[in-house]
Amino acid sequence: MPVLRMENVTVRYPGAPAAAISEISLTVEPGEGVALLGANGAGKTTLLRTAMALIRPASGRVEVAGRDTARLHPEDLADVAGYAFQNPEAQLFERTVRAEIAFGPRQLGWAAGDIAQVTSEMLEQFELTPSADNHPYDLPAPRRRIVALAATLASRPRLLLLDEPTAGLDRAGRLLVERAVSAARATGVAVMAVTHDGDLTVESLDRAVLLENGRITRSADALEVLGSTDDVPRLPAPAQLDRVLGLGAASPRRDAVAAALATRCRSRG
Amino acid sequence: MATPAVALHLEGVTLRYGPDDTAPALADISTRVCAGEVTWLFGALGAGCSSLLLVAAGLAPRHTGGDLAGSVTALDADPHSPAGRAALAGRIGYVTAAPAAQLSGVAATVWEEVAFAPANLGWPIERIRAAVPRALARLGVGALHHRDPATLSGGELQRVVIAAMLVLEPGVWLLDEPASALDHAGRLALYEVLREEARRGAAVVIASEDADTLLGLADRMLLLDAGTVAVDGHPRDILAGNAAWQHRAGSTATAALARLAARLLEPVPSGLRPPYPLDIESAIERWR
Repeated sequence: MPVLRMENVTVRYPGAPAAAISEISLTVEPGEGVALLGANGAGKTTLLRTAMALIRPASGRVEVAGRDTARLHPEDLADVAGYAFQNPEAQLFERTVRAEIAFGPRQLGWAAGDIAQVTSEMLEQFELTPSADNHPYDLPAPRRRIVALAATLASRPRLLLLDEPTAGLDRAGRLLVERAVSAARATGVAVMAVTHDGDLTVESLDRAVLLENGRITRSADALEVLGSTDDVPRLPAPAQLDRVLGLGAASPRRDAVAAALATRCRSRG
Repeated sequence: MATPAVALHLEGVTLRYGPDDTAPALADISTRVCAGEVTWLFGALGAGCSSLLLVAAGLAPRHTGGDLAGSVTALDADPHSPAGRAALAGRIGYVTAAPAAQLSGVAATVWEEVAFAPANLGWPIERIRAAVPRALARLGVGALHHRDPATLSGGELQRVVIAAMLVLEPGVWLLDEPASALDHAGRLALYEVLREEARRGAAVVIASEDADTLLGLADRMLLLDAGTVAVDGHPRDILAGNAAWQHRAGSTATAALARLAARLLEPVPSGLRPPYPLDIESAIERWR
């Protein structure tokens, strides 16, 4: 059963001349990774927010983990879906990083031992242990984004909705996010991410959905969609080089392409 | 040719955010940035790029708390003194990494948002009416002029926030990850605007992790590590070697791939040793 199903979903903002998204139909299966691509203003964030019941569609149907969201609020989905905002400041409000991460599980009524365990796991996984007792707002902006992701994952969602999860991050931060998304998918979590990051798309997601003026104009293997228009990220360098140089890498991901490149360069000395 | 004017001068700048901080955010930084130059601040998280911009703008430690030692001169004024701030009003274009935090909060439309600073500087209305549409158009957001800023998408908001500085034609630009929410086309368009700004004579200082795009824009790189300038040089020279890796900053995607492949082999073959190819074309040339 898909974790997210949207059928003919149209969203209109009050006073706006055109619909923000129109007749969107898509499904996301457990363990699947979908990149939502498109130009600024194409409707990507609107689609993501609608999936989390943060916006009510004018028409159409949204189901999350089999629940029709028409009469549900985001908190009614808190046990199955997690959402990390484009602007992390929109979701951080606790006094410490530790409390921020524990917030979701606590609201869901988890046992104290389970809360403590998931919190320390998340702090460790996202290299936040040294900052555990800091106020989130005392951290640099990029690390706040990492805290927001850790807090979102702490509730163990089955559907993970991410809005620009790598924006503004440094190399180490981007790698943390890539690994976290891949690891979540490996445990069956369905991921849908709005992104302009071609690396994240290839390393940690596999299907790309292209939005143009609020409509889905393509849904295909990410490798086919990346670089196909000016509005989507270019194909990352490793995947491009694998193609152009005929390296025959086992996958377009950077580790596999590096291995194939090493083989070629070794044979040439 | 005349020597270009120094637009920004930091001398012995040390910044500590809190008395308990074991390491300062900036440690004894001295550097000059010239008018017409695009300077790229590159470094891992915590290296000091954002702090350097805040200090140059006169925003840290005034708004962040902490202590500053050393001197800062921007356009011949001290942004850390009341008189200097008055002299610099409208002449420094600071763009934060969190665009939503930069909105005035009082503008009902994008047009008013971009007019906010000029109006507060007392520009005549005719000048504002001419300048606002021009700034919006240069960033490709002219069609949004009537929109409520609160309803913009992340990328639209980022462009509007930058337009609100562009309208001032500042002498010094200080930009912190200004393209983080932009699509690829928007990113290239923004960098072209910043290039034009440098040609107009502005000093452009930009902190960014986007090595692949900045490589074509910046004239000079300050590689920061632990609050100090570790290397000061041309971006190509720095990124083609190992310096940026030794300082945890990384490099372009093709250089990163070469490093990754080199780690798999001992000894490292010549094809994977520095200077690393920095873009696709040179990588194809090297590894075909």
